[in-house]
Amino acid sequence: MEGINFTENRSLVALLAAILPLFSFVFILSSKKGGGASVALSTITLSFLLSMYLFLQIWNLEPEHKQISWFIIGNVQFYAGVLLNNLSVLMMVLVTGISVLVHIYSREYMKNDPNIHRYWAYLGLFCFSMLGLVISDSLLLIYLFWELVGFSSYLLIGFWFSKHTASQAAKKAFIMNRIGDLGFLTGIMIIYTKFQTLDLHSLFGEGGLISTSTFESNFWISGSQQMPAIWLSIAGFAFFLGAMAKSAQFPLHTWLPDAMEGPTSVSSLIHAATMVAAGVFLIARIYPVFDPLVLDVMVWIGAFTAFMAATIALTQNDIKRILAYSTISQLGFMVMALGIGAYSESIFHLTTHAFFKCLLFLAAGSVIHQLHHYCVRNSHDFDYQDIRLMGGLRKRMPIAFWGMCIASAALVGLPLTSGFLSKDSILISAFEWAAAREGIFIVLPWLMVLTSWLTAFYIFRLIFKVFFSESREIKTDKMMQISDSPGQMTYVLLILSFFCTFIVFSVNPATFEASWLWKGFQVTSIKEISIFHWLAPLILNLGAFALILITYSIYVPGREPKLMQDTWLYRISNREWFFNEIYNFVLIRSIEKLSLLTYGFDRIIIDGIVNRMAALTQTISVISDWFDRKIIDGLVNSTGSLSRYIGRFFRNFQSGRLQHYLTTMLLVVLSFFILSYLI
Amino acid sequence: MIPLSHFMLISAGLFCIGLFAVLTRRNAIQVLIGIEFMINAAVLNFVAFGKYDKISGGGQMFALFAIVLAAAGVAVALAIILNVYKYFKSIDPSKTNTLKD
Repeated sequence: MEGINFTENRSLVALLAAILPLFSFVFILSSKKGGGASVALSTITLSFLLSMYLFLQIWNLEPEHKQISWFIIGNVQFYAGVLLNNLSVLMMVLVTGISVLVHIYSREYMKNDPNIHRYWAYLGLFCFSMLGLVISDSLLLIYLFWELVGFSSYLLIGFWFSKHTASQAAKKAFIMNRIGDLGFLTGIMIIYTKFQTLDLHSLFGEGGLISTSTFESNFWISGSQQMPAIWLSIAGFAFFLGAMAKSAQFPLHTWLPDAMEGPTSVSSLIHAATMVAAGVFLIARIYPVFDPLVLDVMVWIGAFTAFMAATIALTQNDIKRILAYSTISQLGFMVMALGIGAYSESIFHLTTHAFFKCLLFLAAGSVIHQLHHYCVRNSHDFDYQDIRLMGGLRKRMPIAFWGMCIASAALVGLPLTSGFLSKDSILISAFEWAAAREGIFIVLPWLMVLTSWLTAFYIFRLIFKVFFSESREIKTDKMMQISDSPGQMTYVLLILSFFCTFIVFSVNPATFEASWLWKGFQVTSIKEISIFHWLAPLILNLGAFALILITYSIYVPGREPKLMQDTWLYRISNREWFFNEIYNFVLIRSIEKLSLLTYGFDRIIIDGIVNRMAALTQTISVISDWFDRKIIDGLVNSTGSLSRYIGRFFRNFQSGRLQHYLTTMLLVVLSFFILSYLI
Repeated sequence: MIPLSHFMLISAGLFCIGLFAVLTRRNAIQVLIGIEFMINAAVLNFVAFGKYDKISGGGQMFALFAIVLAAAGVAVALAIILNVYKYFKSIDPSKTNTLKD
């Protein structure tokens, strides 16, 4: 990195863009309470401008890769650096762009919160880690930022930590993500063992180590290194596990709906548009590592997640929960698309999804915000996130309504929206993939079509319940008090609505092949079958329109329909397929039992052994003490006292008196004579 | 003719009296007298045994020597007693115990 030439050193620019939010985090936390909005907003805006600059510099041009030596372990040199290619600059613009909008939105939405400065600081930390994640060039660095992203998400979910559910949700999200992190770490270790490097470019780049490694009779060979072929699959599964936890794929999806306990703006930025896409991003970034087996698993997990989340979203009543399940469902689409090899389609959907899901959340947040204010003003207490209690807001909040409509249309994939392009591209790829594979695989595209139809149902159920008919809680005369949210929030909705239209991504609203974004990642792996290119969107849209009409007829007349409420299907959906209960029963209970067992083992066996040892030692000590005192000391002392007694006895003879001496002599002589006489 | 055993018994009696005096008297002069008793018991034995040496009279000769020696010894002992008296202001032998230690 010699010479600070601004146009040359694009990696420095990227670094600066990532560091700015960190600066905001540190600055706001160290400054006084209550402020921070302007610092956070200005740094993220600057970051966005830098990202835009990089995007223009690098998109479809030469990728940038700069690294410096980081540290050395043994003989292995580790590098840290910046890798900028189409994928990372796109993600940078996406993350910073949506962050800017959410920052603007939050200024109004989070106004009057007593801990607002923490909010801004955490947002800064999140943006820093997310940007770091997308520009890092080494698996180790990505892992670091991966953890940081999880941590800042934890902080923001638990932002209102005084609320019990919020702190529980934060912990749940963190722990679920730890499971994925374990997978990620395992994958890193396998890759490191195999290649002795964690550098993305040399591993996954053109002609990199992964693509040049070969298979020979069940051995995975690269250079002189070889290990059983199964390790490649294991590494793939391990990385996929990490992505599954972050992108809320079955069976690790249950944290995302609970994460809605955080502020709505956070849900919008982190748990809909950017962070959850990190899993998809990771899969895309290390795509060559996945072998066909892992890809197949990815397909089915993604498809199942998409379907399951859509069925759950059908019957939820919390506005944010519906959107959360819709997010999981769309993430399932992306993962499935990656699994079938539709790389560019998946990234395309990731991008469009980020905008329309962000808009959905912010519009929902706008509704929640206004209803909350209504509650506070009229001291009228009801659950202002429950769509059963809402209604009739169409006239009162037109901008939120239209924003939501456009975003929903994009989510469903109706024509003229961005979702039409990206979602249909995924479906078409799925049909083509199934046609190439034949057999049971034909189920997959139809499952995805069904999921899309369900999407149409649940999202328009939400819209009709919230914006049409009458509210159950708010009297008609009081409805006049409710209006669209204040300026800044509404402008953000308008901007995002614009980004949900086809015009941003393609000049031609009918085919995704015309999209610049899709072309940017194009890989031709699946044989094109042209019939699907008009059939799939047609099937999808006809079904979706029909379902929207049905939904309209069910929900708009205003009576609460008792639609299959007593059937087991409804119950499964409403209780979210009982995943929380199953996890609680199978995992948490068994872990508790195991803990009790190990606790008992600890207490009885380990503590028992320790205590017995202690008692034994004590007894031995007492014995040795006694032995010391009585025997050893006794011997010494008795020797001493014996000589003392002997000395005392003989002293008596040394009286110094002549006559005593003489008496003694007489006695000695006499006893000598007596003895000699006797013997 | 007086048998030898009578001499011996007298001599033993004299010796014992002398010994008793030496061991028990509280006066150095009396102790000295006891010593004289014991010497004379020996001298009596010399004279009695002189019966077996009638020609050269060795027993008598030794008796004379012993008497002379005893006299010399008494002279020395009396001198010591005088000095003891000067030093201790007493001639009780039980008081002169500086011999110990």
